[in-house]
Amino acid sequence: MAWAIVCPIQTMQHRSLAFRLIATSAGWSILILVIAGYLFSSLFRSAVERTFDERLLLTLDGLLANIEYDATGQLTEAADLGDSRYVFPLQGWYWQVSALEENSTTEIRSASLLEKRLVFPINAYDERDDNGLARFYEMGPEGHRLRVIEQKYEIDGAAEALSFVVTGNSDELEAEIAAFDQTLLVTLSILAAGLVMAVLLQVRFGVQPLHRLRAGLVNVRKGDAETLKDEFPIELQPVVQELNALLQANKEIVDRARTQVGNLAHALKTPLSVVRNEAEQAETASSRKIVEQAKIMTDQVGLYLDRARRAARAHAPGAVSDVLPIIDSLVRTLKRIYVQKTLVVTVETDQSLRFRGERQDLEEMIGNLLDNAFKWARREVVVRTRFQAPTQAPGTGSIIIIVEDDGPGLPREQREDALVRGRRLDETKPGSGLGLSIVAETVAMYEGDIRLGLSGAGGLQVQLTLPGSKSLSAKSR
Amino acid sequence: MRLLVVEDDADLNRQLVAALSEAGYATDAAFDGEAGHHLGDTEPYDAVVLDLGLPVMDGVSVLESWRRNDRTMPVLILTARDRWSDKVAGIDAGADDYVAKPFHMEEVLARIRALLRRSAGHASSELHCGPIMLDTKSARVTVDGRAIKLTSLEYRLLAYLMHHMNRVISRTELVEHLYDQDFDRDSNTIEVFVGRLRKKLDLDLLETVRGLGYRLSDPNDAA
Repeated sequence: MAWAIVCPIQTMQHRSLAFRLIATSAGWSILILVIAGYLFSSLFRSAVERTFDERLLLTLDGLLANIEYDATGQLTEAADLGDSRYVFPLQGWYWQVSALEENSTTEIRSASLLEKRLVFPINAYDERDDNGLARFYEMGPEGHRLRVIEQKYEIDGAAEALSFVVTGNSDELEAEIAAFDQTLLVTLSILAAGLVMAVLLQVRFGVQPLHRLRAGLVNVRKGDAETLKDEFPIELQPVVQELNALLQANKEIVDRARTQVGNLAHALKTPLSVVRNEAEQAETASSRKIVEQAKIMTDQVGLYLDRARRAARAHAPGAVSDVLPIIDSLVRTLKRIYVQKTLVVTVETDQSLRFRGERQDLEEMIGNLLDNAFKWARREVVVRTRFQAPTQAPGTGSIIIIVEDDGPGLPREQREDALVRGRRLDETKPGSGLGLSIVAETVAMYEGDIRLGLSGAGGLQVQLTLPGSKSLSAKSR
Repeated sequence: MRLLVVEDDADLNRQLVAALSEAGYATDAAFDGEAGHHLGDTEPYDAVVLDLGLPVMDGVSVLESWRRNDRTMPVLILTARDRWSDKVAGIDAGADDYVAKPFHMEEVLARIRALLRRSAGHASSELHCGPIMLDTKSARVTVDGRAIKLTSLEYRLLAYLMHHMNRVISRTELVEHLYDQDFDRDSNTIEVFVGRLRKKLDLDLLETVRGLGYRLSDPNDAA
């Protein structure tokens, strides 16, 4: 954990698939864009330079054609070059023709140079193209940055070689390039942002099935689902299939173990009956010990069966059971068992009620309550159910089940004891006597409520409040 | 009263047969579903103790088959599975009552008594016929409050007659209900027992219906 706090970014890099995808593809896009931007900029620069140079070359051609020696041996302009830029003083647009000899005074300059001379470092002329032209940038006399084109030329009949230099103010060139670069930067930045955005969306969308996979597994762990059900992309489908196979195998192992615990417990009951009956026959000290131990074993068997059932229940939440069929079958069964009592059994129930829980649990609860009622009733047993609408959030409704008889009832002070396991109230009638305490335990497991009271007919009334719902599409029966 | 015990556990079967015999019933034993089914299908039992977890043919199938063949004797099922859904399934298959393992022998005896009483239409464990009182719970007989000592066969005979009062019962029927299947049956011995019973009870309520059998008449009913 400390490691994660110390270097969270590294953790993210190592752990997040999304981060990897975003970082690589965003990094790559930006690199490509930078290279592209550089290329565009260079291409533009050379294109603009070429146009600029064309203009300077025109002037150079004009000079080559029009400069000649006059009678005094001085250079002179045969005709006006006709470009006003070479007249405005010191704006960076100059031309100059001079002899290459160090101490020669042969020279002519554009009017724009006034009294200044263009002097450039000697090595600036070193690089020449196929036409003998040298092109370079250099600082001019007034601090302008100049684009310079120079050519050596010998006028026919002259003794010395001349250097023809034409310059232009490169600020114009730079301004144009800078404007283009700025536009290019903005455009490419927008493009980069768009790409990164697209990658983000893509990754988020692409990673979504993984989130679903996780949510699905959480549901399985919590027991809300048994397998991963959603449709997953084909790349994930094999993983999902393997996971489902694993879950299935796991469930089978657990089920088998649980069934075996159940079988073992049930299988022990017959020998326990034998041991107990045998021991009860003989009235010796050792036989009494055997009876006592057999009872302990019986309790243990019951305990483990209970646990196995509870574990099975924890594995299958989300179960819903119809209430009415359960009450019907239990009443039918008990009527047959207590046939000689000729009781009047009234069932007032809403057929659309559903218990939010395991069918077997509801069966055990109502079965035990009804068994009690049938056992003690004199003439009548009444079962009533109703729905209690949710008071808070929807889906938290309750069903209320009331079982009452007209038997002797339970005195107020005994009611609490009846709900606690191990306190048996009645030893005179056959049966485990655990009935009510088992009901109370199951009710508690469902966070329900059990209340013992006095029925209208003076017998016992038991009211259960359990989580449940009223199905809208009540099956017509 | 003749009973059948169908239980695959040899020890439990023996205990049940012993306890039921001691309580005055002629008791047959079967150790698997098929044998039990055959016996129940062919012999006229007054009640059956049937385990549900049986080899060859399970208890529920045995029971359902009996009921399909109109065998209506009361059946008490024994099973290790004691959830209400199991009880409902057992009762729906045609059982009359239910005892969960491990059980007290006393409980089985009480349930059997109740079933026999119920099938004969009696509400109490004490049967009365004029001055004769037969307590099925303690297997005791009194006449005018005076205890009468009966052998187990005599008791069975009287109990059967008292469960089926005011009805003519043939000798064959008595033989079938008084002896278990291993007994060497001879309907002439019935006459001997009836004679002894008449002597011990010192009453004329037990009459011989010539050519048909015997009838125990309740003087209160006749009136």
